Amino acid sequence: MTYTRCWIFLGILSAFAAPAFGQSFRVQCPTSTITHPDTTPTQLVNSSEPAYTKPTYPASSTDYTTGNTGGAVNGAIKCQQISGGDGYASMGDGTQTYMFSFGPLSGLPDIAAGGPGTVAPTTFNTPYPVNASASNALPPGYPDVMPATGAVDYHGAIGLANETPHIETVYDASESGQLVTIVLNTVVPFAVGDQVIISGVGPGYDSRIVSNAAVPWTVTKVGVPNPFFNVAQGTPNGASYAFQYTAIAAGLAEVAQPASGTAADVSKVTGHVDARQAMDVGVMNGNIPAPLMAIDEDDEFFLTLTNVGMIMRPDLFEQHTVHFHGYPNASAFYDGVPDASVAINIGGSFTYYYLAPDAGTYFWHCHITPPEHLQMGMVGQLYVRPRQNRWSGDLYTGLNTQQGDLRTACSSATDILCSNPLPAVQTGASNTGVLKYAYNDGDGSTYYDVEYPLQMHAFDPNFHFVGMTFNPEGFADMKDKYFMLNGRSYPDTVTSGPLQTPSVDGVNHFSQPLPSIISIPAGKRALLRISELNVSEYHTLASLGIPMQVIGYNAKLLRDQAGNNLYYTTNSITLGGGESLDVILDTCAVRPTVTTSTGTPGTGPDYTKCTTAITAGTYYLYTPNLDHLSNDAENFGGQMTEVRVTPN
Amino acid sequence: MSATTTKQAIATNRLLPLAAIAALMSIGAAQAAAPGITGPTFNLVATPAYISQPDGQTVYSWGYGCSAAPSGFAPMPKGANLPNASCSSMQIPGPTLIVTEGQTVTVNLTNKLPNAAGNTSILFPGFTLTNPCNGAGVQGLLTCEAPPNGTITYTFVASSPGTRAYYSGTQGDLQVEMGLYGAIIVLPNNVPAVCTAGLPVTAPGNNAAAQTNWGESDFRLAASAYDHPKTCYDREYLFQFSEMDPNVHSQALAQVTACSAPGAPNGCHLNVPTEPYHPAYFMINGRSMPDDMDPNYAMQYPHQPYNGNPHMHPGELTLLRIIGQGRWQHPFHEHGNHVRILARDGNLILSQTDNSSLAGPLLFTTTTTPGLAMDGIFYWTGKGLNWDAYGHNPKSGDGLAKLPCTPDANGYNTGAPTAVNFWEWCQDHNKPMQAAPFGDVPAGGPVTLPDPNLFANGPWYGGSPYLGPDATVRAVGPTGTTPPSGTIANSPTGEAGFAFMWHSHNEREITTNNIFPGGMLMMMLVDSREFVIDESN
Repeated sequence: MTYTRCWIFLGILSAFAAPAFGQSFRVQCPTSTITHPDTTPTQLVNSSEPAYTKPTYPASSTDYTTGNTGGAVNGAIKCQQISGGDGYASMGDGTQTYMFSFGPLSGLPDIAAGGPGTVAPTTFNTPYPVNASASNALPPGYPDVMPATGAVDYHGAIGLANETPHIETVYDASESGQLVTIVLNTVVPFAVGDQVIISGVGPGYDSRIVSNAAVPWTVTKVGVPNPFFNVAQGTPNGASYAFQYTAIAAGLAEVAQPASGTAADVSKVTGHVDARQAMDVGVMNGNIPAPLMAIDEDDEFFLTLTNVGMIMRPDLFEQHTVHFHGYPNASAFYDGVPDASVAINIGGSFTYYYLAPDAGTYFWHCHITPPEHLQMGMVGQLYVRPRQNRWSGDLYTGLNTQQGDLRTACSSATDILCSNPLPAVQTGASNTGVLKYAYNDGDGSTYYDVEYPLQMHAFDPNFHFVGMTFNPEGFADMKDKYFMLNGRSYPDTVTSGPLQTPSVDGVNHFSQPLPSIISIPAGKRALLRISELNVSEYHTLASLGIPMQVIGYNAKLLRDQAGNNLYYTTNSITLGGGESLDVILDTCAVRPTVTTSTGTPGTGPDYTKCTTAITAGTYYLYTPNLDHLSNDAENFGGQMTEVRVTPN
Repeated sequence: MSATTTKQAIATNRLLPLAAIAALMSIGAAQAAAPGITGPTFNLVATPAYISQPDGQTVYSWGYGCSAAPSGFAPMPKGANLPNASCSSMQIPGPTLIVTEGQTVTVNLTNKLPNAAGNTSILFPGFTLTNPCNGAGVQGLLTCEAPPNGTITYTFVASSPGTRAYYSGTQGDLQVEMGLYGAIIVLPNNVPAVCTAGLPVTAPGNNAAAQTNWGESDFRLAASAYDHPKTCYDREYLFQFSEMDPNVHSQALAQVTACSAPGAPNGCHLNVPTEPYHPAYFMINGRSMPDDMDPNYAMQYPHQPYNGNPHMHPGELTLLRIIGQGRWQHPFHEHGNHVRILARDGNLILSQTDNSSLAGPLLFTTTTTPGLAMDGIFYWTGKGLNWDAYGHNPKSGDGLAKLPCTPDANGYNTGAPTAVNFWEWCQDHNKPMQAAPFGDVPAGGPVTLPDPNLFANGPWYGGSPYLGPDATVRAVGPTGTTPPSGTIANSPTGEAGFAFMWHSHNEREITTNNIFPGGMLMMMLVDSREFVIDESN
């Protein structure tokens, strides 16, 4: 096979190609895509999750590029921005530990409240409030200084800036019927559909004034042959100097060379990020765990990583990446492995794109020099919520509906890697579109009332000190001495709210947003989404008192190919680096039998109701690796937290 | 850590893949398979030798090898052995013993370890010996042991198929650490007809037709892993995980030398402390990265013949035979997809209500545990990416950019075995990824890629986001994305596969004696159909 032909073609093509290169910091969060079209002008349709009622692709199509054919648009668009850099965290013994780390650059108030920084396009694309008097303006020093109580806070992409508008002078304006042709003194910088404000040209041309605000015209055509600038007059392609729009009324006068006539486009968001704000907020603002991400099945997820550099290690010109750990059928390009893909340099942004994979508890981390960057703290949590949450009606019917699209189907007969075939037992459990499940189980067995991400990790303080002080780290000698749940050691695990840590600049930065207090109203079920990201050994986590029901492992439902649930109950789980596991802590002793959506008795317990709850009180999660119940030299602390069962 | 080692560590750490690149350039692409020797009679010997590590060290070790030429080698694609196939008197791991279910297996073991090492033996977990301790044998605690220079015979029936470990049953804390371990693969006696007919199930035999079309050979040992239709596979790899504490090895060498020196006392024997245990080498098939990606039987590793360098095409069911051979557990993370565990230690895991259904877990991290063998199936198809991995462009003037995709009952293009996009996931066919691409790939997609000056890339980057040389050259031209610093191991015009890192996720184990990268790490490549996977090189 020869490629010469292709390459010649490319050479020709490149003469016309104008790739959108050149912006270093840039976020990407479209309001519509092929998969999530938006025919309404509101640009809000993809910012909320629609109910799931039927498959996207109920049958094979000959052309999938025109949007869905015959099915429903499912899911939404979700966006998030994170920084890659460094920061400090507080250990249980009061020590400040240096980290290579990710920090939040979107959804900051949500992160500070212990939630995900994943937001909808309508939120993400809100321009950053640079005007100090704006209602959602951020106080100087944000995020370390939070807005006053009651003030509107900013949840969008930090630094997102309006493009500077183009303002061009007008050479001539004329009207034919209602069609106005404006000729500029330069090549028209607008595109069809752009909103343009005309001023200083004359009555009828100047943009309509409504309530003291100029209402722009919408450009209908660009490239209009005209008698002023054309080839004959020595202006190549002179048509590119003119554009058209439709005026309200006919009969406007011809206007030639108005003294102060201008045409300006309306300032808009294109993803350009102002480096000042991105650096102001992003530098030395690392979190452990790294910002939480949460998406729903069928979502398109745009994650922008902005590399702000590591202030404490100016000798390093490190790239960072995001590896979506456990994503089935990942692409190498977005897999985050620098050896097999690309990695963003300091001063640049890279947007990772995935259609949400099957529901489950995943996690993410940097994949640059993993023994170093993971030990240093570049590890975060990520989960995908199931389609079943958005379904109303019998759950078995809902799962069966998902069999109608080959992408969402699970057939044991033809796919050895699918984990949630139709359940062997039809329980009759149903959802009303508001109940939450860990997986598309079809039988209601993964129902939960409250969920807690729980990241197991460990730091070797010597490695971190060596990493901060420009020295090479040894790997074989790595010896972890801080053992953490969500980046905190006991007793910090039971401190509510985000933790702050003073940095080298003497300023407190949010460092550990997630407490690890497992609070469960008596009688309810808690889903623990546990991930293990330490880099040196296996860790065990035990539950004192409340049994752990393991329902998922490595982001897959525990179910055999014949549909039998393989859940097991235990009081301890053991994980090595790079594993995840889903545990239900059930605080109900006796449950009623489930009632079907038609009101008849179903099979098995109703996990949404409780007849007799267990005793309220404080229970514990702790590690039976007893040397891990320590904070470096303190022989008290480590990987331990409280399960608080509150009276209901 | 000594000052010298420290310097080495920082240099390699920051100039990351140079060692890897150099090694790859000198060798070229190499693939893997699951090579071994055939029986059913095996003449093994336990012998000392030095094995090589990528930090330049040679490590004194003990291993099993062949005392005489084996009765044969497997696999034998096109009826011939893999190039340079051999079985020396010492290798790590020991020779992979390949037999068929029901065969009576005879293993003759000769102890050629230093006299001071004392007896040695082999345990075959999962099989029952049918003969008493014999010949020069001495009954040890666990099994019959061969004294220095003695030969003994183990006989057992390969009662059930699957992958299992074998290893020394004599002073295992030292002898297994020194390298006395290996694998035994029992092939099923009744390969199900559906497996023999070939995959995929929607178009039986089309994968074989694709192989024929592109001139590929079949490197499998069998068409199924077990006597069960859910265990058909297209390709297979064997990975044995172990670690080494160099202090144990240097102590052993020092004591062996002392015991064999003139004037050493009679009965001088080893007393090597095996605790505290502090491993610095983390190996897959006896090699550390990047050596593990060099060919099987490569000349530079006379005592480490087996590699770890998996390749596969989209849709191919790939059998992973994974064994933990050391003292530690290692969380082996497979990028790209999950692995369906078929069996543990040769025991197929089936549903308790339906023995035609599998019940093993789906894992993205397969924990290797000392002495535990597991079989699993992996595949990659790109299903659900929501963009066309082949960069098909319906507006192109190039026929290869406009290939059709006809979904089978599962949504894959399996009816076209001679097409580059055999096994393409049709729901994403023609779907653009880039908003305004440079090359001959579809436009109007959701993302804009960054300026190439803003990112770095690596030696396994195929040069574009797209799969295969045809798509990559259409997307970015024959040199790939600038700067073409990487792509050495995965050329844009030659392979342009999707590379995925398979590695221990206790990440400090992807180092070789404090040097990153190294250790338990390899790259798995998914290659589009036009790239010929030749596991013999």
